[in-house]
Parts: sequence; C-alpha cells; structure tokens
Amino acid sequence: MSMVGFDRFLFAFTIGSHIILVSMSIALILLISILEFLYLRNRNSYHLALIRRLKKVFVISFGVGTASGIVVAVELINLFPGFMTLVSETGIIGAFYAEIFAFFLETISLVIYVYFEGVFKWKYTNLTLSIVVASGTLLSGVFITMVNAWMNTPNGFNISEYLATGKVTGVLPWATFATPSTFGEIAHVLTTTVFAGVMLIGAFFAYKYLKTRDPEEKGMFRSMLRVISGVSIIDILLAGASGSNEMSTLLQYQPLKYAAMDLNPTPGTGFSERLFGYIYNGHILDSIQIPGLQALLAKLETGITALPGLSQYPVSDWPPLIIHTTFDIMVVGGLFLGLFLFITFLFYVFRKDFVRNRFMMYFQIFFGFFALLVYEIGWVTDEVGRQPWIVYNVMKVYQAANYSTGLLVPGYFIIAFYLVLIPATFYFFARVFNSNPAREDMKPAAEGGVNY
Amino acid sequence: MLTINILFGINYAVFAVFAVLVITEMMGSVLMLVAWDSVKGKVLDYVVPVWEVTGTFGAFWVVASDFAYPRILIPLASIFSAAIAIFLILFVARNSTIVFAEFIKKRGWLDEKKLYTGYSLSTLLLGLVVLVIITGIIGGNGIDFRNLTFSVSSWAGNATSWLFIIGALLMAIGLAPVFYDLAPLKKLVFPFTIAGLVVSVVSLYLFRHGSLPFLVAIPIILALLVPVLYYLPSAVKIVTNKVFFIALVSADIFSLEFMVYPTAFGGNINVDSLISSGPMASAYVAITVVGLVILAVLIALYSIAVHRRSAMARKAVSSP
Repeated sequence: MSMVGFDRFLFAFTIGSHIILVSMSIALILLISILEFLYLRNRNSYHLALIRRLKKVFVISFGVGTASGIVVAVELINLFPGFMTLVSETGIIGAFYAEIFAFFLETISLVIYVYFEGVFKWKYTNLTLSIVVASGTLLSGVFITMVNAWMNTPNGFNISEYLATGKVTGVLPWATFATPSTFGEIAHVLTTTVFAGVMLIGAFFAYKYLKTRDPEEKGMFRSMLRVISGVSIIDILLAGASGSNEMSTLLQYQPLKYAAMDLNPTPGTGFSERLFGYIYNGHILDSIQIPGLQALLAKLETGITALPGLSQYPVSDWPPLIIHTTFDIMVVGGLFLGLFLFITFLFYVFRKDFVRNRFMMYFQIFFGFFALLVYEIGWVTDEVGRQPWIVYNVMKVYQAANYSTGLLVPGYFIIAFYLVLIPATFYFFARVFNSNPAREDMKPAAEGGVNY
Repeated sequence: MLTINILFGINYAVFAVFAVLVITEMMGSVLMLVAWDSVKGKVLDYVVPVWEVTGTFGAFWVVASDFAYPRILIPLASIFSAAIAIFLILFVARNSTIVFAEFIKKRGWLDEKKLYTGYSLSTLLLGLVVLVIITGIIGGNGIDFRNLTFSVSSWAGNATSWLFIIGALLMAIGLAPVFYDLAPLKKLVFPFTIAGLVVSVVSLYLFRHGSLPFLVAIPIILALLVPVLYYLPSAVKIVTNKVFFIALVSADIFSLEFMVYPTAFGGNINVDSLISSGPMASAYVAITVVGLVILAVLIALYSIAVHRRSAMARKAVSSP
C-alpha cells in the first residue's frame, strides 16, 4: 500500500470508529435531556433511575469520544498536512476553532452537571445543564459538519487563482461558514447521527427488556423504549426529508458525484431510478429499474430535467462507482428502518404496547445495529463519493497527504488500539449501566439521589 | 520593550494554560504512583473533574496553532509525525483509563487502582512526549529542516534536551506538595524547586547559546514565589488554591515567551513570518473574543459550584 493509501485507510478507520462514539454521545445526552424534562413533570422514579444510569454512560462515552476526537483532529494535521494548510489559510479553520468553544461549553457544563449535582437549588438546574451539555455536543457536530460541507462545496477564497498559482488570495473567512451545501448537510448529518445513536441505544434496551426478570427493571426499560420510539419516529421523518434535500444539492453543486451515485453513464432526461447494478462496457447490468423515478424526483426537488452523466467528466476524476451500491444500501436501509418505525407507530395508533411484543423487540435489536450500519455506509458514500478530491475540484488527496514513513508503525498501533478500545468501551457501558440495582437508582433525592 | 504579535500572544497564552494543566496532572500522577493510599483523596478530588478540561485545552491549542501558523503545518507534521502519533495513543489511553477507573467496581483482576496506575503512566509518558516536542520547538533539537525529519539519537545526544526535561520534572516534584496541599511532603518543596530551577535556567542558557536576556528574571521570580508563599503560614491558603496556582504558573510559563519569539527552533524560524494576517487574523481575534466570553462565563459558573460545594462540606463538618 502506498503512503497515500495508508493515510487514507488510517483516517477512514479512525473516523469510522469515532463516529460510533459520536452518535452514541449525541443520542445519549438528547435522551437524558428528555428524561430530565419528563422527570421534572411527573416525578416518575423510572425516569430518575434512567437519568442516573445514562449519565454515567454518557461520561464514559464523552471521555473516550473526546480522546478519539482529538486523535481525529491531530490525524488530519498529521496525515493530510496539505489539506490542513489550505484549511488554515482559508476561513474554514474558524469552524474548527469555534468547535473548540462548543467543546468547552459541553465539557465544563458536563463537569458541573455530573460532579456538582445538588449545589444549585433551582429546580430547573439539572434540566438546564443537560440542555447546555446537549447544545455544546450538537454545536460541535454543527461546526465539524461545516468543514465537511466546505470540502464538498469550497468557497471563501479565489479558487481559480489558487489552482493557477497555489497561492491563497481573496480570503473571505465568514463566507466559508455558509457554503451552498452547509445547511442541508448539517440538517442531514445531525438527524442521522441522532437516529443511529438512538436506535443503537434502543437495541440495548430491547435486549435488556427481553433478558431481565426484575419487574422494576422491566418497567424502567419499557419507559425508555417508549421515549426512544418517539424520538426515532420523529427523527426518521426529518432524516428522510433532509436526505432528499441533500440529493438536490448534489445535483446542483456536485453533479459528478450525483451521476456516480445514481449510476448515470451519460447525461440525459427521463432517467429511471436504478437500484444496484454496475456499468460494464458502457451498459448498466443487473439493476432494478423504476422507470422515470430519478427524473421525477430531480424535477420535483430542483426543477432540473437534464441530468448529468459520468461521460461528461474525465475518468480520472470519477469516484469509485461502488458508491452507487453504498448509496442504494443507504436508501433501501432507510426505507426498511422507516417501515419498522411505521409499524411501531401503528402500535401507538391502535393503543397496543409494542414493547410487550417479543418480535418487535427482536426487530428493535436488529434495526438498532442496522441503523448504525446504514449510518456508516452513508458516510462512506459521502466521502468516497468525493474522491479523488479531498476538497472538491480544488485539491486531490495525493496533494494533501503526508508521505513520511514514520507514520506507519504508530498508525498500526492506533488501529490495534481502536480495535480494543471500541468493544471495551461498549462492554464498560453495559457494566456501568448495570452497576446498581434498579431499586437503588430509583430512590428519590432525600435518600441520597438527585437533589432537585 | 519587547512587543509581541497578538495572534502569537493568544496562542502562547493558551499553550501556557494547557502546559500547566498537563503539569498538574503529571504531579498527581507521580504522587499516585508512589503513595497511592495517602494521596489518592486529594489528587482525585482535583483530577477527576478536570482531566476533560485539560484535554479540551490541548485541542484548543492545536486548533489555535493551525489558525495562527498555517504555513508551518506541513513541516511540523513531517518532523513530529511519530511523536504526534505516540502522543495520540497515550492520550486515548489516559482518557479511557481514567474514565473507566471512575466508575469501575472491582471484578476479577481489574480494579480502580490498576486503572489509575494506567492513567498515571500514560499521563507521565504523554507529558514527556510534550516536553520532547517543546525542546524541538525551542532549540530545534533533533530536527533536520532540510529533510523534515526528527532524529531521536541526535535529540538524545544533546545535553540541553535532557537538562530541560530533568529541570521540568524536578520542579514538578517540588511544586506538587503545594498544589495538592500535602503537608507531610513540605520538606521536598524548596530543595526540588530550586534544583529544578537551576537546571532549567542552565538549559535555557544553553538553548540560547550562552546568552539570556534580563527578562529571564521574571519566570525565576514567579517560580520562586510558589515555595516562598507556601512557607508563609498566612499565604498557604492562597497558594494552595487551585485557580491561583494555575494562574501563577501559567503566567510563569507565559513569561518564557522570549524562548520562542521572535525566533523559534533554535533561531531557524522567524515566527512573525508565519503568522496569519489580514482578514484571517481579524476572524481569529473575533472568534477568540466570543469564545473567551463564553469560557469566562463557564469558568465563573464552575467556580461558584466549587465554592458552594466547599461551603456545603464545611457546613456538614461543623454541624453536630
């Protein structure tokens, strides 16, 4: 493997591992805030116990996630110094910088929320602090997504001059915070990140519900699964809508990526939606075709009727066409997840308890892991779809990479370390979650719990 | 009078706070390794809520450096690539061991003490890697700018590198009893601090090829202030206050800015020539101001929480 290949692989591996922790953290703090709100309203001891248990898990997730986030940040500098130099010479470094303050917001409010419980007597303290922590967490996600959006649709400097001379001029730092793809990407990334995390947590609770014989625990897990189902149902609708908006942005600003994702060999009109399949000798083979659907969706969302095709671009600029398959897996996977949640919704409509249905719990476990897989595949589609560019139409990956062989040995150590760290972290989540008996965690404040 | 670029000033101030936070954790780590039972209460009371803030300051410094000195990123990434990768592994090890230690209940061979030992070792090694990088940034030790490489043997063959690290460690041992207010170790404070100071000043002298500016008096005085105040009964409470100590030692490190400004890497690099300017500098300052306001509010809230917690503890002790 070349050094560029190694840099690519190491970063993909690290970020692929990191986003599991990110989605867990964001989902956890969101659920904790909802539970704080519910507990404030109804003083349900199940909610109290869940807050106590999930807070501990969140601290671990945050601690390991923070370290992992710094690994990702420093790896960007170390593996792709050319990219980071361009980032630092244009205003988008401001998004990284602003993220640090969001990170402070999250860190210090979390320290107060967790380690100084009870020192403020205002009854909304815990709810407020949990919301501040969640805001910091979400803002971190927003700022980092701004960087990714800029990589897809760069702006804020004189690109033609940069391509001609390699010099960064005409810098408009604030423009980089709002590229054509920024807001759409933020919407889709946040909704899908929360969704993947919430569904994964749902899988854990469904498993615990099926396993436990303790009636208190059963009640507690049922309560959590109901909250999770509510969040998931709302979230998948938002994820679907924002995903559809993302495709229209791609069509307008990254037509080559769009053509690769929809497997359009040539430009044209009236295209079918092609599920799976591949191009062989200029022909699409083994695909399921839905006549006119691609053209219809494009027209409805953007008004564009002439769709781009791969033949309009040099082959050397094409991304690997595997992204057509990963894109289809993501969309079809999203539809299956939507179907599962629609059935869950029907349980509510017919006033049935979906938690008591064993099959629904088995599906919850399956779809919890499946949602994470779909989420990862979505990121693969986005990142591989931008290849060979690291900054679309501005800088290719080979121009950005670090060719120092000194990275090899520590890089293998980082990979080995993550292979141990991620399972160990999840194992520890489960241990910490179960560390106290349910009855003990359900005791109200006067007996040593949260002081509201 | 020496004037410094505001971007450099902000960046170096962030580094100073980060360095002090790392040093305080290194002090705690040494103490936990040598006297776990007698120090764990005082050390963990500080370390457990603050280790996340240390990491955040580390990230703050790294990103602030990206913003302030974009043109040095490619050379530095090549020169320190292995050191940075080792730092990352140690950083993840440090975070995961301390967070696991915080919540572990003994099961099998793994317990709280073993995990805190892991945390202490990874923190100490991490601190050493930071010190190695700093010796490179100050004196260019081990660095070959032509080939953009770092030679461990060349670094290790330079006595200045070792003197700098030994001096820093001696001072850390000397100041640890003050920071953690460990009266039984009071006798270590003066000898270790002064020995560390002497060795550090010699290393700084060698770094600058036999010339030190009169400004070096400021960090020496600030460093000596800590043990002096600790020996004054009326000042013990002040100097053992965590915020005061961190502010004082940060000021001490900040006053050493002449070692890396206006030139760094043993005089090979002119810092001003690397610093961002124009709209980028304005954006940097604007985001920093907004961010620091948020940070100040959060630190104020944290200080109130600490104050109230202490008051509650005092009330609990005094009530019959």
